[in-house]
Amino acid sequence: MFGVLRDLFRYRLEFRFGVILTGFIVAFAALSLASPYPPQDQFVVPPDLPPSWSYWFGTTSRGQDVFWLLTFAIRNTMLFGFSVAILSRLISIAFGMWSGYRGGLVDRVLMSVNDTFIVIPLFPLLVLFYFVMRDRMSWPLLALAMASLGWAYDARLIRAVALSLKSREFTQQCVFSGMRTREIVFQEHLPYVLPIVFYTTLNNMNWSIGLEVTLSVLGFTDIDTPTVGVMIFWANQHTAMVAGIWWWVFFPVLFVVILFIGLFLLAISINEYIDPRSRLARIEGASR
Amino acid sequence: MSVAPAQAEAAERVLEVANLRAYYRTSYFGVSREVRAVDGVSLHVDRNEIYGLAGESSCGKSTLVKTIVRAIRPPLTIIEGSVRFDLGGRACDLYALDQARLAGLRWRHLSYILQGSMNVLNPVRRVRQSFVDFAFRHVGKPMPQFLRQVENHLARLRLEPAVLDSYPHELSGGMRQRVTIALASVCRPDFIVADEPTTALDVVVQKDVLALLCEVQRQIRSSMILVTHDIGVHANVTDRMGIMYAGRLVEEGRTVEVIRKPRHPYTAHLVTSLPRIGDAEPRKGLEGAPPNLANPPSGCRFHPRCPLAMALCRQQPPPMVDVAAGHRVACWAAAPPGPAVVS
Repeated sequence: MFGVLRDLFRYRLEFRFGVILTGFIVAFAALSLASPYPPQDQFVVPPDLPPSWSYWFGTTSRGQDVFWLLTFAIRNTMLFGFSVAILSRLISIAFGMWSGYRGGLVDRVLMSVNDTFIVIPLFPLLVLFYFVMRDRMSWPLLALAMASLGWAYDARLIRAVALSLKSREFTQQCVFSGMRTREIVFQEHLPYVLPIVFYTTLNNMNWSIGLEVTLSVLGFTDIDTPTVGVMIFWANQHTAMVAGIWWWVFFPVLFVVILFIGLFLLAISINEYIDPRSRLARIEGASR
Repeated sequence: MSVAPAQAEAAERVLEVANLRAYYRTSYFGVSREVRAVDGVSLHVDRNEIYGLAGESSCGKSTLVKTIVRAIRPPLTIIEGSVRFDLGGRACDLYALDQARLAGLRWRHLSYILQGSMNVLNPVRRVRQSFVDFAFRHVGKPMPQFLRQVENHLARLRLEPAVLDSYPHELSGGMRQRVTIALASVCRPDFIVADEPTTALDVVVQKDVLALLCEVQRQIRSSMILVTHDIGVHANVTDRMGIMYAGRLVEEGRTVEVIRKPRHPYTAHLVTSLPRIGDAEPRKGLEGAPPNLANPPSGCRFHPRCPLAMALCRQQPPPMVDVAAGHRVACWAAAPPGPAVVS
């Protein structure tokens, strides 16, 4: 595995840039552990200072250092994206694989639930969720809500693959050799589905981060926990763009864009490691 | 009539299929459909024998072997009949077994090379993993011994142990086919069912694979059912053969006799379609196609295409009748009705 990743890094430009960009963001988020100020504290530094040697990314009108605040914001945003992606992958794999393999009534019931989730408009629902929760709103809760709304498209995708796998000869051979359904689905079909799952994971992270930023900018989340969206929300509250405090908005946007691009590049290149057929074509020749 | 010879003969039989009917039953939006893919087939296979099944596409060959190994899934349903095996020294009715005993029988005693066998290897798993997934549970040996057995077996089939570490797409079609045969025979089963094992291969590779299959069959002393529509393969490989048409067996006998002296007009057409060296005469094809098995013709199912069709053929299906020792045929023209010949 290590060798393959090394080869990917060496020979795939997309993977190299993806690793560098994502790694940069992760390292930046890790700096939050070394922050001199807790993220909620205000007026710890002089307000409204432009980027300088003492305050790299400037300071906000609320007297926060943008650099250190952003380490927390990026960390929370990434954790949020990860949680949504992992939780929703679990649901979509379970729904997709089970529905595709079992077929019949199971398939029809699961897919009607699935299609219901596909047609439900997410954004108004999440706004409604905020108004119901109000002060009890926190990012784990929002992650849970988005995970239970964001799995349906991918479950359909996985089901389509599972349906096709079900009718392949090797599945018949599995059944004939007496493998249990669980074994067939997890041992034989899951490796085939994983590239798609992985791809959708990174996609889903991008989607959930984007939606979280949108909700936060509008103030429909827990605005006391710094995330990229919450930072922009507060910048708007203080009319930062009008007041010329551009660095308050610019750096969060820049970093979330870097994160997006990094995840996207990883998503398109890591597939070649996971799928043995393309792995062979591109990588194994180089690693041997 | 003494009892002893009958018993001796019965002991030789490994497989006895009696009056098997298997239909595809579907029901969508209130419209029920029944495709009679196997309709009253009786046959038997003796020990160490290669039994061939021939016939056009959509004649029910694959369905028949699926039901013989009980690899059936809805909508395919067994309507009636029985499949009895005498495997590993004990007789059993395949459809009376519970899942556990069925699983115990498979691979060790009964293996099945399914149609499109080039694709039975999971494309995203190495060949070694396929062997472990499919065969390990049936061997009952610890893993290192099992893998040694697999390697020895592959060596017997002239495959390098390196194929175990390959993915299926790294192997050629012929190699994949050989790996599949190795997979099906690694537990030295008493009975192998091979459904078109060589169809997607060119004739040179086909010859190799068939030779290999026969070699394996001889080495492990098993019986085999070999399905192919290629009469040439039957002539070279099988001991006895059955001709299927529209879900029914229309002729059965020793391969040499069936090919040299076909009794059923359908068999005759199949055989004359074979090219012969030195014979420049253009081959004449049989007009039409096999009937829709959801709505088969009355009487003999071959009568719409049969040059010898009589009034009787449209009304009554002909019974299987012995026309010579071990040679049965279902045709009113070949065996006219009469109490003397109907068995």
